[in-house]
Amino acid sequence: MAFFEQHIHSEPKTFISKYIFSFDHKVIGKQFLWYGIIGLGLGGMMALMIRWTLAFPGEAFPVLGHLLFPSTGGVVPPDTYAMLFTMHGTIMIFYAITPILIGAFGNYLIPLQIGARDMVFPLLNMLSFWIAAASALILVASLCLPLGAAAGGWTSYPTLSTLIGSPGAGQTLWSLALFLLGVSSTMGAVNYITTVIVLRAPGMGYFDMPLSVWGLWLTAILNAIFLPVLGAGLLLLIFDRVFGTTFFLAGAAATTGTGDPILYQHVFWIFGHPEVYILILPAWGIVSDLLSFFARKPAFGAKATALSMTSITILSTLVYGHHMYTTQMSPLLTQTFMTLTMTISIPSAIFFANWLGTIWKGSIRFDTPMIFSLGVVFVFGLGGLTGLYLATVTTDLYLHDTYFVVGHFHYTMAASVLLGGYAAIYFWMPKMFGKFLNEFWGKVHFWITMIGLNGVFMGMMIVGYAGMHRRLYNPFVYEFMEKMIPINTFITYSALLMGLGQIPFVINFVYTIFFKKEKEPVPNNPWNVGTLEWTIPSPSPVYNFKEIPVVKCGPHELGNPNLPEGKDFQYQTEEIVEA
Amino acid sequence: MTNKDIEARKLTSSIAMIVILVSFTMLFASMLLGYSVYRFTVDVWPPMGMPRIPLTIPMVSTFIIALSSATLVLFESSFEKKNLKAMRAYFGLTFLLGLGFMFVQLQLWNSMAAMGLHASGGVFPSLFYALTWTHAAHIVAGLIALLFLLPVAAKGYSVEKITWVQNVSKFWHFLGVVWLVMFIVMFVF
Repeated sequence: MAFFEQHIHSEPKTFISKYIFSFDHKVIGKQFLWYGIIGLGLGGMMALMIRWTLAFPGEAFPVLGHLLFPSTGGVVPPDTYAMLFTMHGTIMIFYAITPILIGAFGNYLIPLQIGARDMVFPLLNMLSFWIAAASALILVASLCLPLGAAAGGWTSYPTLSTLIGSPGAGQTLWSLALFLLGVSSTMGAVNYITTVIVLRAPGMGYFDMPLSVWGLWLTAILNAIFLPVLGAGLLLLIFDRVFGTTFFLAGAAATTGTGDPILYQHVFWIFGHPEVYILILPAWGIVSDLLSFFARKPAFGAKATALSMTSITILSTLVYGHHMYTTQMSPLLTQTFMTLTMTISIPSAIFFANWLGTIWKGSIRFDTPMIFSLGVVFVFGLGGLTGLYLATVTTDLYLHDTYFVVGHFHYTMAASVLLGGYAAIYFWMPKMFGKFLNEFWGKVHFWITMIGLNGVFMGMMIVGYAGMHRRLYNPFVYEFMEKMIPINTFITYSALLMGLGQIPFVINFVYTIFFKKEKEPVPNNPWNVGTLEWTIPSPSPVYNFKEIPVVKCGPHELGNPNLPEGKDFQYQTEEIVEA
Repeated sequence: MTNKDIEARKLTSSIAMIVILVSFTMLFASMLLGYSVYRFTVDVWPPMGMPRIPLTIPMVSTFIIALSSATLVLFESSFEKKNLKAMRAYFGLTFLLGLGFMFVQLQLWNSMAAMGLHASGGVFPSLFYALTWTHAAHIVAGLIALLFLLPVAAKGYSVEKITWVQNVSKFWHFLGVVWLVMFIVMFVF
């Protein structure tokens, strides 16, 4: 615990050192937040174009269509459709969720919640943001190429992604951008892991850390271990495309000595399965904390929650094969992977039960961050349960590559991570910017988003179960799918609703940050919770803590009956009150 | 700096360096995994019509990189002993051996090309080129990292530079170990 005390930063003076090349973890967190929100907008627009094409095949995309696709009269052309779903997946996963939850809240929360003055390597932190920015630039630039951006799906399986499948430079730039982003994330991970180990405030054991920090820390560990695996795959893919090596060129490896596309799938999913936990662990951590804070109760089984998250982290490394049941694996191997995958439901069930235990008989305050957290509980429940069908070999063989899979992973990754991210934004807004987001519009935002996203993802699971295949430009050329046009139209209207639902948020967010004047300064601790970041002024000063706090109790000391009248929480710096 | 601060810095940077090395290990491990997959799924290795790469040049590389690790250890110990003269000598030797390793790698690639093994000639040469390229790129990074120790070699022992010396040498030894594994897995077998 706190192996050394960082010195107090002096305030940066120039605009550039304050807002652009800043070493301050709080500013870097905000940079990542903007970066991620822009990514969310871009990925969201692409999603709407995909949905439009599926509901109204052959009709021009409204407003933007004529501008973007003049040659077809505003209709999304088939090759662009492939590009759109590829870029939608890539942008949402790597340029929206990752920067918002891990980049923004990882940077912002870790030092504040463990009582440190900054990350342990501030320069590395800054580099990590600017490398991520360069990576985004490369990816966006690839959209402007004559042959278009990458179009092999977000997984970029060969042979779709080899020179035969996608001859343009888009796929090469995609691989390069992701490789760079991997470098950036690894830098971040090194920083997070080391910071949590060496800079926890005196008195703070691992189980005294808020669960948000637990989630972010485990994420960082997964990142450090598994991003290089993707890096290796991408590197070989780049070599294939640029230097003509033959790793992933289809061919009978046994006889002719050429490559094997399946190897890429192995490498991709050895990384890719931990990646889904990389994305969701921070959201789980944040939600576990927020449920306790707003139910005014100690988190039920906080230690068990932390340990379940740890065991999920470990198990996530052993189950990648369930993405590949249809690649002619040995049946023995598929059964092993099925059993291991099913094992993950044990720790998941433990902390899901802990969430329910936390809100059970709590005196719940339905502020915006809380309703978003409850939303996560709901959508994650659905997403987790549908995962069981995909983990089971027999059902997966039928459901593989249908919209059921799309619905499932959107429930777990898109819905719960998005709602978790919003919960975090609404909750930490006063600490980050010193202002509150409007509660009323926050609730409007929540309900529209919730109705929209359930319409979209539930609908996807239904059409998937009925056999609609993913990635098809116009599935309705198949006779049996013609009957699914109405439900696809319904999904698209839900998607439009969800898209429109983000407008109140964007206006609320931009207005609050740039134009809103609070009548009186925001209190240090508006939500009445005890974690360390709420002991300092809002917005937090450059040096975070003038005196490094000494921690005496856990993060969820709420509703202790022995507390004096009118007080229902304790700061982590206070001794637990006993009768 | 007080003793406690130095100990804290050493600990912090060694934790970070271990995380980084775990990352790099996973990168090379994935590549070697790919290598093994191709290696064990064929009956004939090297594939028909492809020559086996002679051991001579890789052995010279192995010898050079092992020697450079040894001289780097001597550099570290002379740094601890504050022996400026020995420090400079071993630093120069290590750096030269690093350059020598790169030179031998170039010879390896030339000789492979002369044998008709080109990167685009099937998965066998692809593997050899890709893995040695990736390793060589890290050697270049290692050489650049060694350049960061130039001020140490020029001015001699200083407390602030202990972590630098330790981390750069950890990285360099790591590259040596990776090469040794690659040598055994790819060239000997």
